[in-house]
Amino acid sequence: MPFFTEVSVDQILFALLNGTIYGLLLFMVSAGLTLIFGMMGVLNFAHASFYMLGAYFAYTLEPLTGFWMAIILAPILVAGIGILVERFILRHVHEHGHAHELLVTFGLAVVIAEIIKMVYGKFAVDYRVPVELNFAAFSLSGIDYPFYRLLMGGIAIVMFVAIYALLTKTRVGIVVRSAIYRPQMVEALGHNVPVVFMGVFGIGAALAGLAGAVAGAFYTTNPNMALELGVMVFVVVVVGGLGSMGGAMAASLLIGITNSLAVGSDFRIADLMAFVGMGGWADDIGGLLTMRMSSLAATLPFFIMLLVLVLRPSGLMGEKE
Amino acid sequence: MKFAPLFLLISVAVLIVLPWLVSGSMLNAAVQMLIAALFAMAFGLLCGQAGMLSFGHAAYFGIGAFAAVHAMNAFGGEGLLPTPLLPLVGGATGLVGGLLAGYFSTKRTGVYFAMITLALAELLHALAPHLKTVFGGEAGISSFRMPAWGIGFGGLNDVYFLTLVWTLVCIGLLYLFSKTPLGRLALGLRENAHRLRFLGYNTNALGTLIFAVSAMFAGVAGALQSINIEAANYVVLESHISTAVVLNSYIGGVRVFLGPAIGGAVMTFFGHVTSDLTRVWLLYQGIIFVLVMMFLPRGLMGELVERARNPSAEGVAQTLGTLLMRLASLAIAAFGAVFTIEFLQRLLSPEYRADITEGNWPDITLFSYDWAPLSIAPWAIGLGLFGLGIALATLINRRVAARKEAQA
Repeated sequence: MPFFTEVSVDQILFALLNGTIYGLLLFMVSAGLTLIFGMMGVLNFAHASFYMLGAYFAYTLEPLTGFWMAIILAPILVAGIGILVERFILRHVHEHGHAHELLVTFGLAVVIAEIIKMVYGKFAVDYRVPVELNFAAFSLSGIDYPFYRLLMGGIAIVMFVAIYALLTKTRVGIVVRSAIYRPQMVEALGHNVPVVFMGVFGIGAALAGLAGAVAGAFYTTNPNMALELGVMVFVVVVVGGLGSMGGAMAASLLIGITNSLAVGSDFRIADLMAFVGMGGWADDIGGLLTMRMSSLAATLPFFIMLLVLVLRPSGLMGEKE
Repeated sequence: MKFAPLFLLISVAVLIVLPWLVSGSMLNAAVQMLIAALFAMAFGLLCGQAGMLSFGHAAYFGIGAFAAVHAMNAFGGEGLLPTPLLPLVGGATGLVGGLLAGYFSTKRTGVYFAMITLALAELLHALAPHLKTVFGGEAGISSFRMPAWGIGFGGLNDVYFLTLVWTLVCIGLLYLFSKTPLGRLALGLRENAHRLRFLGYNTNALGTLIFAVSAMFAGVAGALQSINIEAANYVVLESHISTAVVLNSYIGGVRVFLGPAIGGAVMTFFGHVTSDLTRVWLLYQGIIFVLVMMFLPRGLMGELVERARNPSAEGVAQTLGTLLMRLASLAIAAFGAVFTIEFLQRLLSPEYRADITEGNWPDITLFSYDWAPLSIAPWAIGLGLFGLGIALATLINRRVAARKEAQA
């Protein structure tokens, strides 16, 4: 069997594209997390909960306002909740230190997940891609590529360009960036730093909410989505280095692409060992050695993380602690 | 605190005679409470004493549980060790797992450490369903307690005493550990790791060791759980177990030695009591945790110890009076909140939604009364009492602040 058939090349192309778009989605959530961390030193454990809230809000709003309005309104609502959380909860515990803030957001993540379960039930809700957007963008070797995936990628890219422009080209962006480095100085110059923090927290939450509103329709919207994505986002920031946007981008793409390549692969460690004549032995051992890559895909990001921790503990682009 | 030893002695005495005092269902809850207390103590060593926040402690609890089940099934059901010594197997596996995981997670500190522990636990949880021989797949692995040392281990009483002895011994060992040089260094690691490194200690190795010790005791707790339910399923690796231990320990007070144990026992007790009454116990647990973190940052026991050490200048009577008033106002607010949440839960439940026909909303039974969901009464009672309680609490706080100001 030739190693690369035309079909397999197309499949790899698909996997790369899927991975890139999943990576962009991960970046959308981890960017907000990194932004908030860089600015306030708070690791917001409830950040992925905002992603989930975005999906559920959009699901609730869709029958009332239509799909497009729903994915515009949902992030705004999520931003509102983020601002309330920052103003009335995080600021209250700020004096007890960052570990305490992390714990409070951890508790909030539990509360949000439980409220979602109470209101929408424990199982996935029927939030789908609207019919008018559910068509193939193009097809390669007979397989259609959904347009909606491209749309998700597109929205993510537009969002980054907007945030990047806001941070680097506007006066607001200058204040925000300087508030990260020298909050006291910025305050002395007459800027209201707490309001800046609140705004950044709200925008970070809105980004996660937007990601949820858009992605919830394509993937599933269930009460576990926050934990599942949250863990991936944490892996991304450990691999990329917290506080580094570039690192978060690189790690998001790395994890998105390896994940989707692995899902489509039948590779087994035993096959690799067969090259050195140990295939039979590996088959006898079984367990991890004979598991197909596709069923291991969910665990691959964790192995990448462990590898990075051993080789470069501060993350791909993180600074030394 | 002169009362502490006396208090401990009385508690232990009560625990020893407990099987003759309470019903079988309560005794079963007591076993769960002891296991939760030990697990929380293991977590407290890592988190309270060494300041390393782990969000994935279910992993070590889980591998202890599975190791114990495998040990029970070893040699065709004969068991690797006699039943009373099985927790040793859980502890040993926990220790090995902890060394391995600790090596990776202590490569980073602070929030990174927390994220890595979570990711490692999720890794194990994602792998477990694929490794059927080890984790038994969907069905899990079941087992039987074998009689040993002339004890049957058939009934609940025997299991209770086994759990009690192991829990007390382990808590005692944890106390002794906190007095060893390594235990003292744990405090140093929490307070100033930089300085420890400067003094020539290898903080990575130190962290790994403490992590492993904590994982070892978590493994013992997991093994006790397996012995109690005679089975293990990969549900024990799920994140809500890790979550529960974090919440319980911090509610109890993680910096006080017995704080986590009391948090774990109390919250497990409430979970058991309310399991028939409410379906959203986890929501309450989360809310209690957030409130404790916001208003009693030291946790319940931490706050108690602090008050006992620094009694307020107002005298016992006045302090007690204020405390009672505060508790009363909080009880009113809590009742209002619980009423509203329970009402909402019933209103939103799938069974109720199925009952709604065109324009007809059936009554909801809550606290043995029937309420019409579209009438104003249930909402007014719930939200009204909540508001009243909060208003009273604010009023009391203002008066106390004013009094302090007047004194100062």
